[in-house]
Amino acid sequence: MSDIQQYLLDYDRNKKEASATAQRSATRLKDGDLKLLKLVEELGEYFNSEDGVTRSRTMGYLAEVLALIPPKVLSLQQRNLLCDFILARTDDGEGIGNCAKALTALEERGKWDSERVQKIMETLLANTNPLRQFKQQSERYPVLRLVDMLMAKYRDALRTLHDSTPDFLSRFIAYFDGEKDPRNLMVVFSILKVPMAEWNIGADAQDLFDAVFNYFPITFRPPPDDPYGITAQDLKDRLRECIASTSDFAPYAFPALLDKLDSTSMNTKRDVLQTITSAVAEYGPHTISLYSITLWDALKFEILNVQEEDLAEEALSGLAAIAKTLSQGTPGPLNAYLRPIFKECNEHLEDAPTKQSQAAARILHRIANVSPDVTNILLAGILPTLFTLFQSADAMAKRRGLLEVFVQLIKANIGVYGDWRSPGIAGEQSANNALAQFRDQALEVTMSGLEDAPVEQVSFRVVCLDGLLQLSKARGLLTDEHIGKIIQLFYAVVVHEQSYGKDDVKNGAINGLVEIAHQKPQVVIEKAFPAFMAQLPDTDLDGSSGYFSVLEAFAKLASEDKVFDTVILRLKNKFSSAVNQNASSSYIIALLSAILYALTKGANKLEQNHESSNHYQDIVLPLLQRTSSTDSSHPKAFDDETTLDLVGRICNIIVRSHSAEQQQAVAAELYTLFRGTAQDELPPFNLNANPETNRTMVVSTQLLASLHKETRLPCEIELLVSSLANYTQQPHLSAPVRSASLRQISLVINKYYSTSALKTCMEPLINGPLELFNADKLDPPRIRVIFACLKGISLRSSPSLSILYPHVLSFLSHPKYGTTIAHGFSTLLQPDDLLTKQNHCQISGLHKQKSFALLVPNITRLFREAPADMKPNYLIALSGILNGMPFDIVMEEVDQLILLLLQSLDLKGEDLVKEAAIATLTSTLVEKPAVVEEHVGSLVTRLLANSVINKETRTPPKVRAAALRCLTLVPDKLKLEVVLPYRRQVCKKLTAALDDRKREVRSAAVKARARWLEVDEAGDDE
Amino acid sequence: MDLDKQNANPTILNPSDLPSRRRETQVKRRDDGGTGLFDDLIPPYNYLNDPFDQAISSSDSDDDAVEQIDEQEVYDLISSISDPEHPLSLGSLAVVNLPDIHIQPPTSPHSCISTVVVEITPTITHCSLATVIGLGVRVRLEQALPPRFRVDVRIKKGTHSTDEAVNKQLGDKERVAAALENGTLMGVLRKMLSTCE
Repeated sequence: MSDIQQYLLDYDRNKKEASATAQRSATRLKDGDLKLLKLVEELGEYFNSEDGVTRSRTMGYLAEVLALIPPKVLSLQQRNLLCDFILARTDDGEGIGNCAKALTALEERGKWDSERVQKIMETLLANTNPLRQFKQQSERYPVLRLVDMLMAKYRDALRTLHDSTPDFLSRFIAYFDGEKDPRNLMVVFSILKVPMAEWNIGADAQDLFDAVFNYFPITFRPPPDDPYGITAQDLKDRLRECIASTSDFAPYAFPALLDKLDSTSMNTKRDVLQTITSAVAEYGPHTISLYSITLWDALKFEILNVQEEDLAEEALSGLAAIAKTLSQGTPGPLNAYLRPIFKECNEHLEDAPTKQSQAAARILHRIANVSPDVTNILLAGILPTLFTLFQSADAMAKRRGLLEVFVQLIKANIGVYGDWRSPGIAGEQSANNALAQFRDQALEVTMSGLEDAPVEQVSFRVVCLDGLLQLSKARGLLTDEHIGKIIQLFYAVVVHEQSYGKDDVKNGAINGLVEIAHQKPQVVIEKAFPAFMAQLPDTDLDGSSGYFSVLEAFAKLASEDKVFDTVILRLKNKFSSAVNQNASSSYIIALLSAILYALTKGANKLEQNHESSNHYQDIVLPLLQRTSSTDSSHPKAFDDETTLDLVGRICNIIVRSHSAEQQQAVAAELYTLFRGTAQDELPPFNLNANPETNRTMVVSTQLLASLHKETRLPCEIELLVSSLANYTQQPHLSAPVRSASLRQISLVINKYYSTSALKTCMEPLINGPLELFNADKLDPPRIRVIFACLKGISLRSSPSLSILYPHVLSFLSHPKYGTTIAHGFSTLLQPDDLLTKQNHCQISGLHKQKSFALLVPNITRLFREAPADMKPNYLIALSGILNGMPFDIVMEEVDQLILLLLQSLDLKGEDLVKEAAIATLTSTLVEKPAVVEEHVGSLVTRLLANSVINKETRTPPKVRAAALRCLTLVPDKLKLEVVLPYRRQVCKKLTAALDDRKREVRSAAVKARARWLEVDEAGDDE
Repeated sequence: MDLDKQNANPTILNPSDLPSRRRETQVKRRDDGGTGLFDDLIPPYNYLNDPFDQAISSSDSDDDAVEQIDEQEVYDLISSISDPEHPLSLGSLAVVNLPDIHIQPPTSPHSCISTVVVEITPTITHCSLATVIGLGVRVRLEQALPPRFRVDVRIKKGTHSTDEAVNKQLGDKERVAAALENGTLMGVLRKMLSTCE
């Protein structure tokens, strides 16, 4: 049996085996076992078959064999013969796809010359025109691929064919007429783009244009599981490239596109606008100059009468693209285009502030951004009118509207000419900036506006302020003196002005100062800093208190890199003189807060820059000495734990960026704080130390937090932990000192125990005299120690947790302290400001999952077994754990928890628990509504009960509002038929919440009720 | 909804000029003149708070202070309604204004019924949508205020060519109820109210 027989036999049964036959033939040809002549001879019989399918498959066989033959097996002569043979078969009408495949395979085995390519193209056009006569997509596709390949590889040959054959192009265009399949269209567009972009298309331009524009707009929607992955966007992109490919299309494209812009379909309009923008960018200045005004007249409507925001944006891009293209050409057309624009905008300015004056501002901003020429022309065209209108305007609102336009123009100008830090798109050209001519006028208007307008004119002053800020940013525009004046003006607003409304102007001025500091740090330091310092007294003993806002503004400046160091230095000096002159505690606290704020803002700088040892010498050491001293250098303010916490935080933020080596000096003095007393005489080692010394534990805690785990502790770690545990048990300790010392236990355990030692780190406390886990000895101080230890361990996900947690859980049913234990769980996973990565703590990425897995399933199990009076403890513990837990961890277990959460809402007096439960229920509704669905009745009833105030349960406003917000989500997330039965009840009950005594709750109630009222309406529609 | 725009180019107020509730609590607390910049320095969950004590003292003590419903609150309820013609709020178009909202206390000591009077200012005097806007304001307030308030919405005198006729329509309970049965009208209203905060 010959191979072709075998192939045809297998074809219907098993396509794979048929291909294997073809592979075999190819191998035999290569090895010389089969002569090409013989193979073709064998085919003869089938090519002459009556049956079209057989003929087509025979060509398929040939194509497959050819594609499988390795290169260089076939000689040039053989390939030419084959090519002629296959071409001759293209008039068959059957198997055209396979012919194309065979030709493509041949081409891959040896390049063709021009003549051959032209012959192939002509034959195809003669025998298979139009292509749409072949009904199957799979027949047309290979032909298109073949033509595409010819276009790609033999561009010159085809182009010569076009140049020498007058009617070639029209036949070529008609060839693809009527193609509908998206895959084929993708190829057709790419084929046609070549003549569009590269050939001289002359009289065929319109036909060529219509050949692609007929498909505009593309409304194709791919089937749901489309294997080819062609999207409407792919087609749109390619079609748009075609339209934009040659300026010869302009006479057809713009009228046709503008016609379609009147469409009522937003998608069509969007397509039109995008196509216009890309066409404008490609057609070149000469062509565009002919259409620029027509386009402006059409596009402006999309902006002046916004239908959809994104359409306006597209239209703006279009207008900007026109300006950009024209500015590549001669000045005449550009002027001609811009003149009607500023004329129209000037008209809209006359009745500012309106919707259209706002639109005018948008237009000007977008176009002025394009190039230096455009900016200069627009400024010259707009600003004189704008300032005249401004002077003659009688209403503040109008002046404000005009200045808004002005600010947009300067912003665009900065885009072109740059700011002080970096040049704009025009490069170093600020000398040519037309804005310079209007500088004095602009400055005068905005400065007097900010200075003289009454404080009630918030929006007017805000826009003046913005104008001044932009002017001061514009590269090379203002002198340092001018900028200095602006700074003083801003400064005056910040410091001297009365607070008004939402303080938009004051905040704007502070932020403005920061921005100017970014542009001109030196001017700010010279002009503003002395003024700030003059406003800050050395001491406030004369009763002055206006310093606070000054301090705030000054500290804010620290966020700017270049002035950071100066800000810190000045604040530090101020602090020293304040202490020396016995300033009041509140002033000292304010100064400390400002230093801390400034350091936080510059934290990045501290981390990058290890020279901050300066700050250590200048700030940390003096502060620590003042803290521990007992003589006159110790300010009274330092006798307060909150102040010491501030001191500690300042030291922490500076020390933590140092290396372990640098830190060693502090580590050694962790408890002595450079006071020259022996460590043993001080807390936590000496329980009978002078009570005054207890307070400094707060500072020690912050220092301990700042240390790397490689530093050496000032004593043995076991000794330190047990000393701390004993120390915290003392009843006379103040609450902050106790908390701080407990936190030291967490820190030491977390940082300094090795992984293996961590497993047994609690043993000395459990087995020692403290007997931490002895139920009979349990009391609140011991419970605190337990959780302090667990906190440090849990962050490291130690395996010992699986032994420790069950112990603690078992105490939940402790008759006396079960509730206290329950509250402790909230400490474990809550965000913490001391045990953090920045503080070099060891935090395992999965610690939350670990604790959740060890605790929550056990709690749900124990809850079921617990006696009724103990059940609340489990709910409290659960809420404490859920509170700090990301919801994706909770989500897995949430179906187990939902009943517990609902019962938590019935607890009395446990408001934090309720809040946590509502938060989890809210997240559940958002992420996994199906779980809630079957409980919707009890959820709605309980939320309602918690959203309305009544005499028995005094639900706090926060819980009421949270319950209402959760209730608002219910109809959003659950199916209509599930919530509909509750609508009446909810709307009725919520009437009471509308009259809540708290505004926050009322506002939540209004939203909830509005949402539930809609439930019914939605039902009506269906 | 394709209404021909009656006023295509209305005047727009800037958001920072719209009346808003001054954060009184904050202003009161900050008698030092600061803006509270340093308040966030120490996180609220800072370690100095003892979780074991917190639970006991958590019920807010200032829950007793009653915040009455005032004109500003009514303004906030209705100023975010959108205009049927423009994607702009009634507040920014100055259709509703704070000075035109009045809450009248109960007329007699035995009654608990207060009245909210809202006067709206159409953007142009012949605006046929004034009735729709009035209806929208009315519906919003009836949904959002407790039942002890009576709602009275009217067109501000002299701002509309047929203000009396419109007022009659808005004041007529039965006509309002009938209007709300109209599906198309409800559709327009729903769209207007969908931007309410």
